[in-house]
Amino acid sequence: MTASERSEPRLAHLSEVWRASVKPPHPAELERGLAGLRLRLSAGAARPRFVRRMLPLAAAVVVALTLAPLLVSRFFPGSRTPAPVEVAHVAGGKILEAGYLAEVGGKGMELSFNEGSRFSLTPGTRGRLRTVSAEGVRLALDRGAASLRITPNHERHWWVEAGPFVVSVTGTDFTVKWDPASEELAVKLRQGRVAVSGPIVGDELVLRPGQNLTVNLTKRETVISEEGADQPSVAAPAEPAASAPAAPATGAATPAAASAAGAPSAASGVRRWREALASGQWDRILADVERDGVEASLRTLSSDELFALADAARYRRRTDLARSALLAQRERFPNSSRAPDAVFLLGRVEELRAEGKPRALQRYDEYLARAPNGTYAAEALGRRMILVKELEGPESARRIAVEYLRRFPQGSYAEAAHTLERAH
Amino acid sequence: MNPQLFQGLAPMVPARGAKPEPVLPSRRDCTVDPHPWGRSMPQPSRAPLALVVSPPRRGVTDGELALALAAGDDWAIAEAWQRFAPMVMSTAERALGSKSDAEDLAQEVFLRLFRKVQTLRDPASLRSFVYSVAVRTLKSELRYRRLKAWLTFRGPESLPDSSHTSPDLEARDLLQRLYALLDRLSPRDRLVFTLRRAESMTVEEIAATMGISVSTVKRSLAHGNARVSHWIAGEPALAELLDRGLERRRE
Repeated sequence: MTASERSEPRLAHLSEVWRASVKPPHPAELERGLAGLRLRLSAGAARPRFVRRMLPLAAAVVVALTLAPLLVSRFFPGSRTPAPVEVAHVAGGKILEAGYLAEVGGKGMELSFNEGSRFSLTPGTRGRLRTVSAEGVRLALDRGAASLRITPNHERHWWVEAGPFVVSVTGTDFTVKWDPASEELAVKLRQGRVAVSGPIVGDELVLRPGQNLTVNLTKRETVISEEGADQPSVAAPAEPAASAPAAPATGAATPAAASAAGAPSAASGVRRWREALASGQWDRILADVERDGVEASLRTLSSDELFALADAARYRRRTDLARSALLAQRERFPNSSRAPDAVFLLGRVEELRAEGKPRALQRYDEYLARAPNGTYAAEALGRRMILVKELEGPESARRIAVEYLRRFPQGSYAEAAHTLERAH
Repeated sequence: MNPQLFQGLAPMVPARGAKPEPVLPSRRDCTVDPHPWGRSMPQPSRAPLALVVSPPRRGVTDGELALALAAGDDWAIAEAWQRFAPMVMSTAERALGSKSDAEDLAQEVFLRLFRKVQTLRDPASLRSFVYSVAVRTLKSELRYRRLKAWLTFRGPESLPDSSHTSPDLEARDLLQRLYALLDRLSPRDRLVFTLRRAESMTVEEIAATMGISVSTVKRSLAHGNARVSHWIAGEPALAELLDRGLERRRE
């Protein structure tokens, strides 16, 4: 079959779908259009629209041509194709086929990239560069520790895969360590921002400067500690100073109890919980809630507090409590900006429950309908693809895989999507 | 394709380069006549235009409607809109991929129509004239979009409205991909491709409507077909979607 013989039926089918896609306008639409037409007539739209629209455009062209170099570099950074990232220099080893990093001399390896980023691998570390492209670099760490100093650039993304974890980076300075024997991941963030995803931590766990994350798969434990752990205020996200008086010296009152006692304490209660979250003291949050009574807390906690409770419960694998907190968030604050996030997180929690996958699928559908471009859109679509594959088979999941690859070609589920697509 | 659409088209379309002679008086040169169909032509005068609200008059021929439009009758505005807007909006929606853009463009078409209706030689060919104005307006719009895209360093954005496209996810996906491909065609190739594929017009009809020669239309169509086919072949996911649809149709 020639190319044109193959293409004509496709074009014919495409045309058929195209023709069927448009329905005649509804009478109400016609009325609305006529009203708009009359308005434009009465406004005296004398000049053709093309001319009207071209006038400001022409003015913009003159300005743009005058200030072209400045405009292009400042306002259209995305229009430039990012220069490809390349390994500029390797010290203490060499890069083998397929990107494997082979240490020579037992003193660790240093990799420098052409745009200024640097990797330092401690002696004995094994890993490989999976991709090095204009979009960024993906380092797979099989064993050992690597310190990375990434030059900030929003056009590029860098990832470190450590066992089952993925550390996502934009511009930062941090160390990541993976020990396959003890199945322990350690991330120490000095500067910038990284997000870790994987087992136990679940969806993206964002770290701030000064925080250390340790995830132990064997113990199923996640700990976030701070540099100078006795100074939690360093890591605490600041509440507005005017509305947040100092926390009571006891520090024992929960936000719920504080809310009941008086409004000013509520903010400090949230702050203490955030501090507890940031320093990995989730048990403190859970203990607070249990002391005040779960039901009462779910009825009285604020939106932020419910999220903090849900996070603490999720990190401690208290899925029922996490689910209750998120359901309370969804029911009590349905119109809050974070309401869709609660729906997504509910999906993650449902997945952890026995027989919870169909419900998780519903949650992801709901999230994608409410926030198609939301923070968790890529994750929700990826999880949806995985669940549909498990529940309905690969054929049903294939369409989602195609959509996923179209929207998130570099997403963390891209490999699974490619596998599904190829399997057909 | 509505066979009535091109009724009387040939005499309306002037030869290339030739300026059509106005045969009807300007709207602003006419008195308002509440019963225009009772006369063959409006009477020229220098009285200022005044709008007279009257209910839509169905049963009026296209020729009578053209005369009333040239006379600036208010009822004719509503009647012309009710009669031709569905055709214009549907074509514009298929060409642009957006219902709201189509509605906006339809209003522009009628504004142009009211300005140019007095140049219409054969009032009975009003439908073809409206369609011709619509196609020219579409071409201007597509050119403007391309220019804007070029000036702002961004690609044209023809994304089909989710509200009006098929509820079938696969069809919606197909349409999104189709409009992304159409954005890569030149305005003329895109319009020719649209009129041939989505509006099922013949090559001669397209040539007459766009005011270009038949051989130019054939060249443009061949170019558009070849490029779209090539792009489809280069997108395995899209090719597969189409092949699957074809298979289902055969079954």
